[in-house]
Amino acid sequence: MSQSTDLSASSLPLRKVIPWLELAILGASLILPAFADDFWTLFLTRVFILGLLALSFDLVWGYAGILSFGQALFFGMAGYCTALIATKLDITSVLVLLPAAGLVGLIVSLILAFIVILGRRVPTTVFVALGTLTGSYVVERLARGWSYVGGQNGIPSLPRLTLGSHEIAEGVWFYYMALGMLVGVYVVLKFLTRSQLGLVLAGIRQHETRITFFGYRVQHVKGIIFALAGIIAGLAGGMYAFHEGYVGPGQLSPVLSTQVVLYVLFGGVGTLIGAVVGAGVIEYLSFMLSEQYQRLWPIFLGLLLLVIIMFRPTGLIGFLVSSRERIGSFGRPGDAAPAHEADKNPP
Amino acid sequence: MTIIPFFFDVLAYSAIFVLVVLGLGVIASMMGIFNFAHGEFVLLGAYTVYLFHSSGLPVWAGMVAAPFVVGVVGLALERVVIRRFYATPIVAMLGTYAIGLALRETVRSLLSGQFYSVTAPLVGSFSLGEISISRWRTAVILITIAVMVGCYLLLTRTRFGLQVRAALENPALARASGISTSRVYAATFAFGSGLAGLAGGLMVPIYAISADMGVPFLIKSFLAVMLGGMGSFEGAIAGAAFVGATSAALPWAIKPVVADVVVFIIAIAIVKVRPQGLLSKWRN
Amino acid sequence: MKNDDRSSRPLSASRRRFLQRTSLLTGTIALGGGSYLYNPKGVWAADPIKVGIATDLTGAISWGGIPNSQVAKMVIDQINQSGGLLGRPLQMILEDTATNEQLAVTKVRKLVTQDKVDVVFGGITSSMRNAIKDTIVNRGKTLYIYPQLYEGKECTPYLFCTGPTPAQQCDTFIPWLIKNGGKKFYLPSADYVWPHTLNAYARNVIVKNGGEVIGEEYFPVDHNEYSATVNKIMSSGVNVVFNTTIPPGVAAFFKQLNEAGFQKKGGRLACVYYDENALGITPAHEIEGLASCLDYFKAVNDPFGNQLQAEYGKLFGDKLLFTAGSGATGMYRGIKLWEAAVKEAKSVKREPVAAALDHAKISDGPGGGCEMVPGTRHVKMNMFTAVSKGGKYEIVEKSNGPVMPGECA
Repeated sequence: MSQSTDLSASSLPLRKVIPWLELAILGASLILPAFADDFWTLFLTRVFILGLLALSFDLVWGYAGILSFGQALFFGMAGYCTALIATKLDITSVLVLLPAAGLVGLIVSLILAFIVILGRRVPTTVFVALGTLTGSYVVERLARGWSYVGGQNGIPSLPRLTLGSHEIAEGVWFYYMALGMLVGVYVVLKFLTRSQLGLVLAGIRQHETRITFFGYRVQHVKGIIFALAGIIAGLAGGMYAFHEGYVGPGQLSPVLSTQVVLYVLFGGVGTLIGAVVGAGVIEYLSFMLSEQYQRLWPIFLGLLLLVIIMFRPTGLIGFLVSSRERIGSFGRPGDAAPAHEADKNPP
Repeated sequence: MTIIPFFFDVLAYSAIFVLVVLGLGVIASMMGIFNFAHGEFVLLGAYTVYLFHSSGLPVWAGMVAAPFVVGVVGLALERVVIRRFYATPIVAMLGTYAIGLALRETVRSLLSGQFYSVTAPLVGSFSLGEISISRWRTAVILITIAVMVGCYLLLTRTRFGLQVRAALENPALARASGISTSRVYAATFAFGSGLAGLAGGLMVPIYAISADMGVPFLIKSFLAVMLGGMGSFEGAIAGAAFVGATSAALPWAIKPVVADVVVFIIAIAIVKVRPQGLLSKWRN
Repeated sequence: MKNDDRSSRPLSASRRRFLQRTSLLTGTIALGGGSYLYNPKGVWAADPIKVGIATDLTGAISWGGIPNSQVAKMVIDQINQSGGLLGRPLQMILEDTATNEQLAVTKVRKLVTQDKVDVVFGGITSSMRNAIKDTIVNRGKTLYIYPQLYEGKECTPYLFCTGPTPAQQCDTFIPWLIKNGGKKFYLPSADYVWPHTLNAYARNVIVKNGGEVIGEEYFPVDHNEYSATVNKIMSSGVNVVFNTTIPPGVAAFFKQLNEAGFQKKGGRLACVYYDENALGITPAHEIEGLASCLDYFKAVNDPFGNQLQAEYGKLFGDKLLFTAGSGATGMYRGIKLWEAAVKEAKSVKREPVAAALDHAKISDGPGGGCEMVPGTRHVKMNMFTAVSKGGKYEIVEKSNGPVMPGECA
């Protein structure tokens, strides 16, 4: 039972919707602070940061087939480490802290990759999911119990990030910084997935053993992608802690990890823009539902998610984008044969 | 003579845990779906008993009703929601997550977010000299053993059981042999949910009921299923016994906070070293 | 025989009504009812003072958040009915922090940035308080009043605490426990900041009063198996179990302790967060004789408190009671003290109100009046020791006047 692919549409010229969508979102984001009030600027900044985290998951799952339920682990650890550096060592420069956040994400993801993903035997999807979920769970429990990092309270009242002598306050400055990072990472990932490496990733996603037989070192590729995703998640985590003003065990938890999976699935796996859109839509929905139905909103949220999952498992992007464009095709434009070959189903 | 309470402790906790994991394991092995709402099925079983209790009906009647009530709920969910996603188990899992969220929050609302106690059908304890052994927890152990024996007989002595085992071991071959997997899947999901409901009903007198009572079971149960090996009934029991026993035993020796984490690490380590689990029947 | 040709019949009245109702419902869901904004009734000359309430209406701590929000509404309505504050009505803006610190920050941000409230009351758990305090106090430059009993050591400027502190819960309570229980204490606890800090303080008081701490143990909050601990307690002749495990684990612990015969052998169970709402967590016989020390119990039976209870009961029923353990009494206290401070400062601006609040006092409240201890941002209040008998509380001791909070001196 696979999703239908419109092979018949291959003879028609391909109308790409995604680039227009990306441009529209980018354009709106650039000018928004001029029109929206402070609160929505802050709200969107948070959405950009969570969108960055969602991108990291889309990278590993949508492109490399690694179902990681532990992205929040890198997010939270980066948050904790940068918070500790800022509060214990009094360093608040963004030029130190953000790279540090990325570095923490890299190190932790490599450790987790060695334990869960890499190894002589190829792990099953379920094992990877559970292994990463366990990683997130265990570290959250440990953080909750460790008084040096504040236990359940976490590390409150974080100072603001600084660039030289200027404070990057949450608001317009932080908004553009977060947007800049999001766009930067997005462009890099777009380039990556359209490159030769992207082709290998698509192959791994489809049929790992076959790609191994072609001579690619699949373990290395997976490790690289997981590490890259770790860096991205770490960057997001560092920004999040300083934007919200505190870091707590909730930022490491399996709940957040699962939420990230939801963002991406909701938005549309394997499209990159879907991750960002999914994050934005779910956050907005949660917020509005909570305003309108103060005591019952979690029930409505659960039901709403369920309904969308049932009727649109390909995610929101599926409403706007043909399945062919969503899945992606490789090869030179106008070349009918390669386009057919690459027209396969996502996992 | 702390050895007796120790063993009893381990046995009592493992019994409950086995009931929870058995249901999850059978569903996971059969359909490849880890039911993220499994904790909430446990909760529903507990809630059924609570409803009986608060309407003045006998608690034991609630416990008899719980597996059936939750089994029906599970069946309904399977028919309406889960069945669409057998081809994409990942989406199914997230669907169960959404269901779990909705169920949990609904019960929370019904309970006004509070914790409530339910008296056990058997109150008090046996005293063996200095040691007191809870009567109800003993009953739970005995009931669990009876249920496991019953399941074993069902699976090995009945035709339906044969179909279930076939579908568990090799779904494609089972379909090819003419077994209606759709019906077997539905029955299995109902059965798994029913077991969870029974576990919830039995545990309510021991731990108070609250909307979040199913949550701590979830990840541990997933691990237990993986550890025991997917594809067999015995595997789920083995995994649950191992994880349950370790969870109950370790806090006697090391700090409970650390023990909790160690159980997970041990489980993951074992699965890493032996990916097919302790007792797996799957050929791949 | 009716000629029932459905195709030619116009839409039946009931079907039309159904469609109308459904579309109305959909429309309402789409546009929303905006139920979080409680506008003052009646016509007022001046624009309202905005009071932000940020508490857990959903999630694991909703048993505390809902009473908090209800008390707030009741008190704000009372103030409005008696003419408002400085001639202006109070407008209550309620936000759900959902026991989720990530979501909470956004909600609180809305209060201080978009709604521009003049004060924020709320937070129940310390982790929530720590997550939202920076957004309110530093970034939002708004006054923050925290109503719940907690571990102390919160000395952030512009953050006022109106719930009991460890000193208030232990200074009079522990001597009573030693007199009415025994000298050997055991401290089974949940593993997070409040029990750790409370235990440290309690240990000092225990030793100072001639007692002895046999053991101190920490468990994850959802820990279910306490046989090892119960065993230790029974075999070392412990007289008083000073418990700080919390739900869900506490239900299993109390049951296992009771089944081992702790109370039968004369042991005393003590738990300082146990209030009337908590009595339902375990069957009454398992907590027979349990002692608690809080700033208010319904059994105190003071006329002012009774009146408040009656009104609260009339408005909100009896599912979630007005108790001290949920922070509802602290919320009452906080709002009334703030009201007094605003009256004195004749302004709602943060600086003058904080200065006035620093020494504010109210003469009436649940359990009696109370007063801010200047320079500490904490409240001195009466404390009551109560014992659970047959599932109901009986007051056994009242503090000799208000007890000092002993924080931020």
